[in-house]
Amino acid sequence: MLISSQRFDRTYATVGSMMIDQSEQIEARGASRADELLLRMRNANRTFRMGEVEVKALMQCDLDIKEGEFLVILGPSGSGKSTLLNLIGGMDRPTQGEVWFRDNELSKCTDDQLTEFRRASVGFVFQFYNLVPTLTAYENVQAAGELVDDALDPMECLQLVDLQERAGHFPAQLSGGEQQRVAIARALIKKPDLLLADEPTGALDLETARRVLSLMQHLNRERHLTTILITHNPAIADIAGRTIRLVSGKVTERLVNTNPIPASDVEW
Amino acid sequence: MSNGRKACRVSVLHNKLRRDLMSSTGVLITILAIIAIGTGSYIGLMSAQRILENSQSSYYSRYRFADFWVDVKKAPLTAADRVATLPGLAEVDARVVFEVIVDLPNIARPISGRLISTPIDRIADNLNGLHLVQGSGFSDSKKSTRSEVILNDAFAREHDLLPGDRLELILNRKREQFIIVGTAISPEYVYMVRGEGDLVPDPKHFCVLYVPERYAREVLDYKDAFNQLAGRFAPNSAQDPELMLDRIEAMLDPFGVLATTPRERHASHRFLSDEIRGLGISAVVMPTLFLFVAALALNIVLSRLVQRQRSIIGTLKALGYSDRLVLEHYLLFGVMIGLLGGLAGAGVGMLITWGLVAMYPSFFEFPSFDYQFCPDLLLIGVLMSLGFAIAGTAKGVWTVLKLQPAEAMRPTPPSKGGSIFLEKLTFLWRRLGFRTHIALRSLARNPFRTATGIISQAIAMSLIFSTFVMFDSMWYLVEYQFDTIVHSDADIGMRDERGMNALYEAQTLPGVDEAEPALGMVFDMRNGRCARRQSVLGLSDPHRLTTPTTAEGEAIHVPKEGLVLSSKLAEILDLNVGDIFDLTPIRGRRDKVQTFVASIATSYLGLEAYASRKYLSKLVGEASAVNTVQMTIDPTKRDAFYAAIKKLPNAQGLNVRTDTKHNIEKTVVETTTASLGMLIFFAGVIAFGSMVNASLIELGDRIRDVATFRVLGYKPRHIAAIFFRQNMIIFLLGAMLAAPMGYGLVTASSVAYDTELFRMPVVISTESITQTIVICVVFVLFAQFVVWRQTQKLDWLEGIKIKE
Repeated sequence: MLISSQRFDRTYATVGSMMIDQSEQIEARGASRADELLLRMRNANRTFRMGEVEVKALMQCDLDIKEGEFLVILGPSGSGKSTLLNLIGGMDRPTQGEVWFRDNELSKCTDDQLTEFRRASVGFVFQFYNLVPTLTAYENVQAAGELVDDALDPMECLQLVDLQERAGHFPAQLSGGEQQRVAIARALIKKPDLLLADEPTGALDLETARRVLSLMQHLNRERHLTTILITHNPAIADIAGRTIRLVSGKVTERLVNTNPIPASDVEW
Repeated sequence: MSNGRKACRVSVLHNKLRRDLMSSTGVLITILAIIAIGTGSYIGLMSAQRILENSQSSYYSRYRFADFWVDVKKAPLTAADRVATLPGLAEVDARVVFEVIVDLPNIARPISGRLISTPIDRIADNLNGLHLVQGSGFSDSKKSTRSEVILNDAFAREHDLLPGDRLELILNRKREQFIIVGTAISPEYVYMVRGEGDLVPDPKHFCVLYVPERYAREVLDYKDAFNQLAGRFAPNSAQDPELMLDRIEAMLDPFGVLATTPRERHASHRFLSDEIRGLGISAVVMPTLFLFVAALALNIVLSRLVQRQRSIIGTLKALGYSDRLVLEHYLLFGVMIGLLGGLAGAGVGMLITWGLVAMYPSFFEFPSFDYQFCPDLLLIGVLMSLGFAIAGTAKGVWTVLKLQPAEAMRPTPPSKGGSIFLEKLTFLWRRLGFRTHIALRSLARNPFRTATGIISQAIAMSLIFSTFVMFDSMWYLVEYQFDTIVHSDADIGMRDERGMNALYEAQTLPGVDEAEPALGMVFDMRNGRCARRQSVLGLSDPHRLTTPTTAEGEAIHVPKEGLVLSSKLAEILDLNVGDIFDLTPIRGRRDKVQTFVASIATSYLGLEAYASRKYLSKLVGEASAVNTVQMTIDPTKRDAFYAAIKKLPNAQGLNVRTDTKHNIEKTVVETTTASLGMLIFFAGVIAFGSMVNASLIELGDRIRDVATFRVLGYKPRHIAAIFFRQNMIIFLLGAMLAAPMGYGLVTASSVAYDTELFRMPVVISTESITQTIVICVVFVLFAQFVVWRQTQKLDWLEGIKIKE
């Protein structure tokens, strides 16, 4: 297997809605990895052909993502955010350029190797949650956990997002915020190296959005879970350590935020 | 650990699968029903075929069914002994077969009987052995054998005759009383018909009587002689059966060979074998049609499911589900439907077999005929169902495979819009209402779905249509054979040729209005390599009571010279009108003459040839021979006529046209009504099922539109009206396709049934067309009712919330 999964080995527990890391040893290991380069992108281009027209969705993108980082990719709709996220998440390959995840060049992986990479290393959270409507919250989480050998217990993950009481509910019986928390639990169950969130609050009201963002911020800070969040909402950039801005497929701005605000204080 | 995980993986996606299946119950039930009928018809018909085939072969081998029969005028037993020494022959039975008239005490009408001599010591073990159903068989004592008879069981049942009852026979100018010592069935009469030209068994008016061999020889003047040689070839003989028959014929030639019948031409065997063959054909055609429609419908359902679950597929792939796992999951959808349909089909199949097994004993008589469970056919049926279901999911599954996770996450590309072809015909388009516009656009934008709908309707309609046509054709056939060709009420056959006094005698019988003499004689016909021994009916000039008819429906008058052949006979001999061929009488001086085909007549039963009676008499060197008299009878004097016939010493057989006709009509009505009912039901499942299926999918697709219309103030019936238009367009296009398809199906079955015994005319009446349309419209309306109910039940408020 080309992709070697160096996973975080952590256990989580919640007390009410507060999460406490129980493994200091693992925290230490996570801390020791901080500043190591997790993902590297060089001169990445992605073009799509739509009939006669060639659309350049992403152009000459360079990007370094360190372990434990919280990165926000900011840009208006159609700016290439999702394309970039797809390249990072191994859902797509660049037309040109390189994408490296640790020592593995994703841009040269086969479909099967990319699947293996996603399975082992990436947790996804989508704008519209993308839960399977015919599976309960518990089963939705379980569906992701089954793919890896050392997954967490689905109920544990639901506890982590404070939804253990709603384990047997179907997505249609949950609010948007609850669905998104199930989606986060689903991302966490396989203990990913990288959490990718595509407009995770795009469909939520401010209060619910704050709660979801707090959860992500907490996971990043306490668990050193490398998190990449894409959004069109500039306010969210304040909670991240670093922000890159995309316009028309090009990185136009790179900002480092030395003092991210707590997600609960975010305003828009 | 990893095994446990694997089992667990199976379970979660299985939950999704189970719920997906449950949520499309309405759509799936229609598909399952179509699959169940397709699989069921395979299992049912194939099982029935196997049961018939097994019963046939075990019956034939246990009771030593003959491989050939040679009818002679009269030959000494020594000739049979000589034939028996031929290498390649296992055994021969030289017997006496004699047509007689049976007089039952309480029945006015004389009954035609066939007397067959039987060795008393081995009735079961003889060639064409008898299986005793009732009674004890012949007694062994010499003095009692003279008047004992074993009766064929169907006749005994029909007339409530039991061992110990008595009946009288008129045979060889004598009236004899017999005591029934048993009832039996024989492999020669599994299908109880007289021979070529008979269509259905007539146990009321025809019987076979088995009498002790010695008695038959004495009473019928066949001391040390026989008139029929039945025989069986040695198993694994290297001899060519056809050449063997030629040799046997040559050896018996001096004694006047009347007919040689190899097993393939034996009427009962042919009917039974044709039924077995027909079951095999239906067992291929029916499942193919039904499973094809099911696969098309399933294709739509699964493509639609995949389309709707696009983002789920993307998510699963994003989560790290491999293509194989996702593919397996959707394939399992097809597998489950195939499996469920197959299992339901197994049930339907067993019901069909059970129905056929219950019906066959009224046509075919076997010592035992029982339902057999055929697990291998069940398995094949279920596998077939699985195969078609998996094929039906192929397109959807292929889409799943092609779908890249990144692409799947993007919103579905907007569905094809823009104008459709018909909109270019502005003049026409403007005249159609907006509901019709919606219907037409929707049909044009889902070409595969539309095509599936049209094909399904066409298949259903052509199935119903072809069944009606078969029904009409049978009626036409019966009317043609018994009204158009034959006009006499009763025909009496005589043992030997007689002069014109036979006619005068008949004319004096009570109730006879009109009588015409005829002469039936057997000839060898040869045209190059094509040869046939065939009976020719000589008609008087003019002849009114038998009128062969051309394909164009014109009555043919037999010419002074030359022959009129039925089209099948002409085909066998490779002859056309005007062609010259050799004709040799098989008795008399046997001078070969050259004659010609004067006309070709149409006939649907057996093989027929007609000529002038005088011409035939001349060929055998007699002035004016008669052996059949055809008569019209005053219906009020029928009983007196029957009573007189019973006293006629020369009468050997009696045919009553109306009885034969009614018997056939009754049988045709019984059998065709059952199959018509079943086929209409089956076809209805296709017509109704495919339409409901398509409408429900469409309704699911267009829930937003429906919601919008409801918000605007449209009622469910207005929305149902759009679907109605759409369904009617599909129905009409289906009907247009059904016309050539139905005609093709009817022609194909007419070709499949084209045998020497029987041909199927293709008769398409306006009633068939109207009935088919009416029935199919009823199915459409039923489907429409379901759609209307669905539009009423639809949670359209939810529809508004649906995001693109």
